[in-house]
Amino acid sequence: MSETVNATVSTAISPRTEPLLELDRLSVRFLLGRRRGGGEVRAVTDASLALRPGRVLALVGESGCGKSVLASALLGLLPANAQVRGRALLHRDRTVESGGSVELLTAPESVLARRVRGRLVGLVPQSAGTHLTPVRTARAQLEETIRRLRPRADPASADELADWAGLRPEQLDHHPHELSGGMAQRVAMALALAGDPPVVLADEPTTGLDRPLVDRTVDQLGDIAGQGRAVLLITHDLAAARRVATDVAVMYASRIVEAGPTAEVFGEPWHPYTAGLLRALPEGGFEPIPGHPPSLTELEGLERKWGCVFCQRCPEMPGFAPCTGDPEPIDHGDRRVAAHPPC
Amino acid sequence: MGDVRESVPESTAWESGSGQWRSAARKRAGTPRGGGREVRARIRLWGSLGTLVALVLAALLVPALAGNEGGVHYEAIRLPPSPEHPFGTDTAGRDVFVRALAGLRVSLLVAAVSALVSTVLGAAVGTIAGALGGWTDRLLMRVVDTVNAVPHLLLGIVIVALYRGSVVAVVLSIALTHWTAVARIVRSEVLSLRQRPYIDAAISGGATRWRVLHRHLLPAIVPQAALSAVLLIPHAVWHETALSFLGLGLPPHMASIGNILGDGREAVLLGAWWIILFPSALLVVTTLAVSGIAASWRDGVVPRRRSELAL
Amino acid sequence: MNTAAKTAAGSPSRAAAAGRLVLRRLGFAVPVLVIVAFGVFLLAAASPFDPIHQYYGVQIFDASAQDVAAVRARLGLDDPVLVQFWNWFSGVLSGDLGISRSMRQPVAQVVAERLPWTILLATTGLVVAVLIAVVLGTAAAWRQGGWIDRFVTAIGYALEGVPPFVLALLSIAVFSLGLGWLPVAGLTDAGSAISIGQVLEHLALPALVLGVSQSPWLVLHLRQSLLSSLSEDHVVGARARGLGEGIVVLRHALPTALLPFVNLIGTRIPELVTGAVLVEEVFSWPGVAAAVVTAATAVDYPLLAILALVATAAVLLGSLLADVAAILLDPRVAADG
Repeated sequence: MSETVNATVSTAISPRTEPLLELDRLSVRFLLGRRRGGGEVRAVTDASLALRPGRVLALVGESGCGKSVLASALLGLLPANAQVRGRALLHRDRTVESGGSVELLTAPESVLARRVRGRLVGLVPQSAGTHLTPVRTARAQLEETIRRLRPRADPASADELADWAGLRPEQLDHHPHELSGGMAQRVAMALALAGDPPVVLADEPTTGLDRPLVDRTVDQLGDIAGQGRAVLLITHDLAAARRVATDVAVMYASRIVEAGPTAEVFGEPWHPYTAGLLRALPEGGFEPIPGHPPSLTELEGLERKWGCVFCQRCPEMPGFAPCTGDPEPIDHGDRRVAAHPPC
Repeated sequence: MGDVRESVPESTAWESGSGQWRSAARKRAGTPRGGGREVRARIRLWGSLGTLVALVLAALLVPALAGNEGGVHYEAIRLPPSPEHPFGTDTAGRDVFVRALAGLRVSLLVAAVSALVSTVLGAAVGTIAGALGGWTDRLLMRVVDTVNAVPHLLLGIVIVALYRGSVVAVVLSIALTHWTAVARIVRSEVLSLRQRPYIDAAISGGATRWRVLHRHLLPAIVPQAALSAVLLIPHAVWHETALSFLGLGLPPHMASIGNILGDGREAVLLGAWWIILFPSALLVVTTLAVSGIAASWRDGVVPRRRSELAL
Repeated sequence: MNTAAKTAAGSPSRAAAAGRLVLRRLGFAVPVLVIVAFGVFLLAAASPFDPIHQYYGVQIFDASAQDVAAVRARLGLDDPVLVQFWNWFSGVLSGDLGISRSMRQPVAQVVAERLPWTILLATTGLVVAVLIAVVLGTAAAWRQGGWIDRFVTAIGYALEGVPPFVLALLSIAVFSLGLGWLPVAGLTDAGSAISIGQVLEHLALPALVLGVSQSPWLVLHLRQSLLSSLSEDHVVGARARGLGEGIVVLRHALPTALLPFVNLIGTRIPELVTGAVLVEEVFSWPGVAAAVVTAATAVDYPLLAILALVATAAVLLGSLLADVAAILLDPRVAADG
């Protein structure tokens, strides 16, 4: 497997290469039907990110802050009541014949289905087992995917791919319900790479796995980034993120509040939320942030009332809301932080 | 604090992003096309109601106004549709339009009575099974399974065959074969009620069985049972029509839709298709109108029962 | 490579699950059949029709009271219902099904002669209905809300309200009398010997009518089932992998939607029997279903009771077959035990 990959993808990697996928103020909201109150859910607000070859960008944050919606939005898999705004430019690198870029949010379904999904952007889904069709074996689905995405591929490549992902050939002959969480995860990893995509989105790939399997999975993501791919690791597991990510973006209540190289962000967090997340880790003192993230349906009201949705839980100023208006993104070299003037 | 914030213009942060919102819906299987679901649902409800009211009025008024002509009109046997007889005439020279509406009146009446009897029977069995539980429940549900194992029309045929020629036999034939669906629904409703804490509280609080039944069970069962009764009407019409068509249903002097269609069988072979076309169209439109009302009611009043009511 | 070993390991447990289901169903079927037989017997006993009148017909007015009493005693009509039932039931168990008055034949012979034709008609009709359902249900769900969907759904709801005999009469009016394509009724043309060509020609219209009249429930159910399948994770997963729309629908959404559909086919067997009664009657098809009407009209009790049992057995067998098929098709069943 690794030979085929290295043959097609350049191995020259520098930290400042041109991004493969650029998000520019991407926002997603869901409109609720009249029966459910007619409101809206803000899932992602003005997210700007860049995925570069050879690097793993970890998108971290507590559960329910809109991280996973981002992956669905990039693959055009949002449900019909969703609306999007902003841009997501996929720059095809030289591994693709025609070059140029695709704007993922406006690309028609046919372009996404025939050229983008699986071929340019692979997805490692959350809860891998349920993302497999229950009445067909893992092998049938893997072979089908390889056949469709790479018609000229060797029929034996399913076994090679499975072997790379850490599966024995006979394990492929199981039906999805017979696979353990770890095995299903490996099948999902093999499926995501079946089309040899330069960009890989991993949506909470470690949910439900124990620590050794988590480490194994994220190391695998590190490996595939090492092959010259750009990897987006969406996770609420900071330890996993720290283990493999070269860059990190912290998401809170639909917004990216801080982004930058992992060592710098985790070494010296600028945003109080990042600091709070780090303090919640065992080595940070096991001191969880008080309260829960706000429900995404309430964001608009909260922001109007408080200015900054984090202030409710901000340890420095509990109960106070001195911030106002729009968070200002402050760019400082590689690092960005969303700041309200007093925060 | 809150009042100070009121002055902040609405969601400045939210509107400041780049570009316009656009739908993320894509053209692919599983994504509904076309909008206006709620509009269409309303059209269905009012269309069905209007149609049914019009049909019932026509069934009551038209035959009465046309009067009973009686006898055979030899000069008008099997005339194709014409301005004078918009739906033609039948083998006895009677106007198909008038006769079919009169037949609809009979069919609807028989169906409504049968549906009512059936619902009462089913609701009683369901309530007893659900409320008493234990072996009573098991026995009654076994009876339900057994009745369901016999094709309804066949059981109905056996019943009318042995008590032939009376309206009561037809009503019984329908009622005795259709109560099982109601019994199941009511039973599951009672069972889910029994799980709720306030029922326990009421019983342990010393409320009598009757009081619990009156205050808690009936209000929950009645809407379900009423909906079942409405939903049963198309089935009852269908059943009566089939029996009468086979010559086993209502006595010949009660011209129901089924009798008319049965009479029309030979006429069709003689080429007089209109004799069955209009009565059957009337039957289908009535069935659709009742189903449409029941469907709207189900979606609006008693949600999420669709699978069980797919009779 | 290891597929063979795996299937060999997987199938015994699934076969065992199917076997347990068959045993459980048989345990259910025997009492049901006895109860149905007894129920029909009770209905007959409570009926105001006195079998002695059927025995004599109009001649009862000429018969002497002693003769009538003697015949009553010989027929066992004065015994208690339970004794009568036991006499009849033990006869059925020993293979003596009684004599059909309306057909003037032993009941066993009526059933043996007619059952194959009903099975032929019902099976063909069911195949037609399932084919219609799979094609139209898939097409409708694929473009939910599109014009095909609206058309199919509207026709489906309308057809649910059309009794099969109306469909049968109208199709006779159009295809036999209007266009002259197919024969009006019967198993063969008058005077012709039974041949495959003749039977197929006469089967086409009744089977089509039966199939079309049974299809709306199947179509609407498959459509709904496919729609919910399309919103499940595994379909999202298949899409995310980059599979084309056709593969996603046909190879990922449809297989899971078909499992509940197979069960539904089993539960529709009573309606299939009902439809067969009406269609056979209209097309003068020489099957058991049409004999039901003849028997009922003549109050031919022995035949009617046996036919009710045959129909009940068919329903139980049909739903059993559907459930066994669902078990064999669903790899998850074995794991549940």
